[in-house]
Amino acid sequence: MKETTVILAKDNLQGLLRKLGRDKSLVAPVTNQWGDTLYTEITDIDGTELDLSKQPQASLKGFFFPQQEVIQTYDTTAGYEFTPQRHIQPTLFFGVRSCDLHAVLYMDMIFSSPERDDAYFARRQDTTIITLACTTPFANCFCNATGSGPFMEYGYDLQLTDLGDRFLVEAGRQQGEQILQAWGHFFEPATEEDVQLQYQLSLEAGGRFQRKVEVEHACRILASGEVDEQIWQQLSARCADCGGCAYVCPTCTCFNIRDAQQEPSKGERIRSWDACTFSGFTRMAGGHNPINSDHALQRRFLHKLKYDVEKHGKPSCVGCGRCVDICFGHVDITTFIEAVVED
Amino acid sequence: MAGLATAFGSGAMTNSINELEDVDVVIVSGSNTTEAHPQIARRILAAVDRGAKLIVIDPRRTALAQEAHVHLALRPGTDIALLNGMMRIILDEGLADDHFIEMRTENFIALRDQLFKIDLDEIAAITGVDRQLMHTAACLYARAYKSTFCYCLGITQHICGTNNVQTIANMAMLTGNVEKENAGVDPLRGQNNVQGACDMAALPACLPGYQSLADMQIRQKFKQCWGVDVPLTPGRTVLDMTHSGHNGTLRGMFVMGENPILSDPDQTKVQATLEGLDFLAVSDIFLTETAQLAHVVFPAASFAEKSGTVTNSERRVQYMHQVIEPIGECKPDSTIIAELAERMGYEMYYESMAEVMEEIALLIPIYGGMHHDRLRSSWGLQWPCPNRDHPGTPFLHKHYFSGGKGHFTPAQHQEPFEPPGDAFPLTLITGRIYHHYHTGTMTRRCASLNRESDKALLQINPVDATTSAIRNGDLVELTSRRGTIRLWAQISEDIRPGQVYTTFHFSEAPVNLLTTGAADPIAKCPEFKVCAVKVARVES
Repeated sequence: MKETTVILAKDNLQGLLRKLGRDKSLVAPVTNQWGDTLYTEITDIDGTELDLSKQPQASLKGFFFPQQEVIQTYDTTAGYEFTPQRHIQPTLFFGVRSCDLHAVLYMDMIFSSPERDDAYFARRQDTTIITLACTTPFANCFCNATGSGPFMEYGYDLQLTDLGDRFLVEAGRQQGEQILQAWGHFFEPATEEDVQLQYQLSLEAGGRFQRKVEVEHACRILASGEVDEQIWQQLSARCADCGGCAYVCPTCTCFNIRDAQQEPSKGERIRSWDACTFSGFTRMAGGHNPINSDHALQRRFLHKLKYDVEKHGKPSCVGCGRCVDICFGHVDITTFIEAVVED
Repeated sequence: MAGLATAFGSGAMTNSINELEDVDVVIVSGSNTTEAHPQIARRILAAVDRGAKLIVIDPRRTALAQEAHVHLALRPGTDIALLNGMMRIILDEGLADDHFIEMRTENFIALRDQLFKIDLDEIAAITGVDRQLMHTAACLYARAYKSTFCYCLGITQHICGTNNVQTIANMAMLTGNVEKENAGVDPLRGQNNVQGACDMAALPACLPGYQSLADMQIRQKFKQCWGVDVPLTPGRTVLDMTHSGHNGTLRGMFVMGENPILSDPDQTKVQATLEGLDFLAVSDIFLTETAQLAHVVFPAASFAEKSGTVTNSERRVQYMHQVIEPIGECKPDSTIIAELAERMGYEMYYESMAEVMEEIALLIPIYGGMHHDRLRSSWGLQWPCPNRDHPGTPFLHKHYFSGGKGHFTPAQHQEPFEPPGDAFPLTLITGRIYHHYHTGTMTRRCASLNRESDKALLQINPVDATTSAIRNGDLVELTSRRGTIRLWAQISEDIRPGQVYTTFHFSEAPVNLLTTGAADPIAKCPEFKVCAVKVARVES
């Protein structure tokens, strides 16, 4: 069945979001007073200017898997008693880029097996995601090479494509269809011309990438062989061990859990982001580290480009380019891919 | 700071941080830059990637030393000898910049005469640095058009710290590597606002903006603004205070955001002084070891809970925006000071932080054009910035040094205060590591950082480890004439035989129980980088 495709005039966007924001919180890209563009919770749609022209600096990861969250409280007064803390907030995400939605779909998979992660799904359930196709990729983007953009082919509730004065709207999932039905008067039918124009834009977008990153080529090399020792050493020497790559990465989901005592027998169990590039990630109690500092980046790059390919059939890098921006040692995943391909 | 002020008339980084990316040759001395200043190290490495030559002067094989073209692993405390040797080579090779020396400097003859008395073999013996390596480094530095000299606490934390800095200034002037873009002398500041603290005269002997305490006109200016006479006598230096002992000369102290119990040398003396005070007040964001001794503790607001400016290494004044309301009862430092002053009978009322900045701009010429409205939405301004229209100053001393002509002050090698000997055969070097900040009051409370580095390690060469039957990971006892601490051995070739290295981040192993209070006579900066110790394995 061909999905429903309609047109939303740009003038009608604000009105639609006002309606959609009534029974859900609304999150969309906004540039704040310091010039940072972030997915931001919007309480006053009429007093807020959305910024759909820039890539949000952080992905959606933090909304479902916060940097730090209390997942349980504990009480040891009479035996061990744990009380799960769940945070449920029905949310509509608008203006999400395809890389970021691909990352959410990946997280859904990671957090559902082998056991369902209740803390994650409490936040994730009851969310609607409306994406905005990228007609002009940003400077460090390479989602064309990771198969996660610049247009979504599946997984979205609604996907919008900017056609100038109007958006072409495609419904991909039931929740999207429901929006089109419930608020039909905001939309008008799409013509064949609109559909052709969207296709033209997607064709051109593919040619507008400024970076050429040979992800598939690298994955093939990694699948069949070892990486030259020198590459690991050279990259690790320049890694500043800041964890920035893992923190901004929309698919890095490693976490640590610690207990914070608040009273002698009560406290909170806190989950926080971790990074496999940290030496403490694998260092054992006696001080031995099975992965020495020369190979600090090995876990991360091989996980993304080799192990996940073996396990899920595709790399778990979504090509958003955020680690390229954040890495001040210039040893982000694109540097690694280049080194592997050149070698 | 005193050393650079004598030579150039102003004590701060002469270049901007970004200029480091475009140097031809960079010497980094006494700085573990990748760990202590990663954002500066990245620019040095970017320059290396571009083809610049990197010379590292450090007793230890730091991560930056491993990337260096030349690593001069000198014996700790022999910087003057090494640089004098290099300058002699520069003279002998005819690489001195005679024109620069004539146009922009004075007192060169004194330096030249001293350098001609030097015997390079003797220098090699003192420093432990090979003559050929010294030659290579000297020629690289002197031949390049854009050479920069970065240094940090490995230069200043010696009894001859001021002379060390003057010698660096001598070498820069000798080769004409100052007063231009991408070339200069760059002290790397240790904290986000230590430059600002100095600028505001958190120093004993001057008024804010390095203005003379003795100048009548300047005194009058401050009197008019503050309504009180500024004392004529200089204040006391930190060590002079915290080492004054229980002798009654110092009766009360107010310590803000500092933890001298762990950060000052010779802990026993510091503790005796603080415990002997009639009154100690401490203002900090956590209950530090020093705060635990206080009669009154003020909970201070953290950086995120207040607005104001900080001034960094490259003299850049940056505005910090408040993002959250102060938590609990804590208050910004400025409020704590103002309320205290008011209760002491001196009203300090300001409408806003912007009004405080306005007063700074009025009283301090180098801050004359720094106003919050200009700083709030920009990346900041670099002093000197004398008026509202001034764009700030990326590199210092264009056309002339601020003190007139650059002044050569020859210096001679001076042995460290406490050389190793029979009873204490090893030299202890102290420093910092990447994951922790100073005495760990903040970073040790962060689970991830503390996991990365959770205990004090003693870096020791395999030769010394074997002598003392120490294995990697053993608990060892480190003893100096002043005390003993326990920490874990980390055997490494990155430290030379006869030297050991550790940090001062861990209250469980307070290394400043061991260090000496000996200090540079001018800057009063203590010799944290050299003291004599012995090490023994703790039998389990």
